[in-house]
Amino acid sequence: MKRTLQVLNELERDGVVERYAIGGAMAATFYVEPLLTFDLGVFVILPQNAANLLSLAPLYEALRGRGYAEEGECVLIEGVPVQFLPAYNALLEEALREARETPYEEVFARVVRAEHLIAICLQTGRDKDRERVRILREQADLDMNYLAGVLQRHGLEGKWKPWRP
Amino acid sequence: METLKPEVAMLFAAKEARRRKLARLAFPEKVRAVVRLQEMAAPVFRARGKIVRVWALEDEVMNRR
Repeated sequence: MKRTLQVLNELERDGVVERYAIGGAMAATFYVEPLLTFDLGVFVILPQNAANLLSLAPLYEALRGRGYAEEGECVLIEGVPVQFLPAYNALLEEALREARETPYEEVFARVVRAEHLIAICLQTGRDKDRERVRILREQADLDMNYLAGVLQRHGLEGKWKPWRP
Repeated sequence: METLKPEVAMLFAAKEARRRKLARLAFPEKVRAVVRLQEMAAPVFRARGKIVRVWALEDEVMNRR
């Protein structure tokens, strides 16, 4: 995992991605009890290309050049299947911008804030998102004022109400 | 509505306390716990025909050497 994070940091340092942050179940695990997942979800802001397309192809190519092969929807980086997801809307862009840096052994990792994870779950709206929101609400130290701001900015207040206990 | 017996309520409370304790672990410890969960769950997923990979952590590789 440490080497995987080093590679993510190198990708950002080398400009292959503008910014990355861990999302999904591993980001939730940062705030709550360990959750079962088999891939490391990583949100990325990609450098603008001429066609303004959100293509992961240059990222995959850079990883292949470093010896990391694709495996289904993931790329296997130092023994960890990493699933990259480009920031495709304003909420994900904000989540990436405001993600927190945290030490992991001798490297650092950037992790999406718990409040943004809740907002992303609300926006996605699958059954497993509902369950994740429940766990985050129960176990994470949430800044409720900050969460209210995120929900308001991204028009998610209406979705939040039915998901509260 | 049927109420829980005190013994069962105590068990649930203990389980909840354990989950909250796990939530306070350091991130690297949680990652190791996730890998242990993967090791337990992988045979079940594979039996259902799903291809899953248990993560290889550097320190675990070192410990096995």
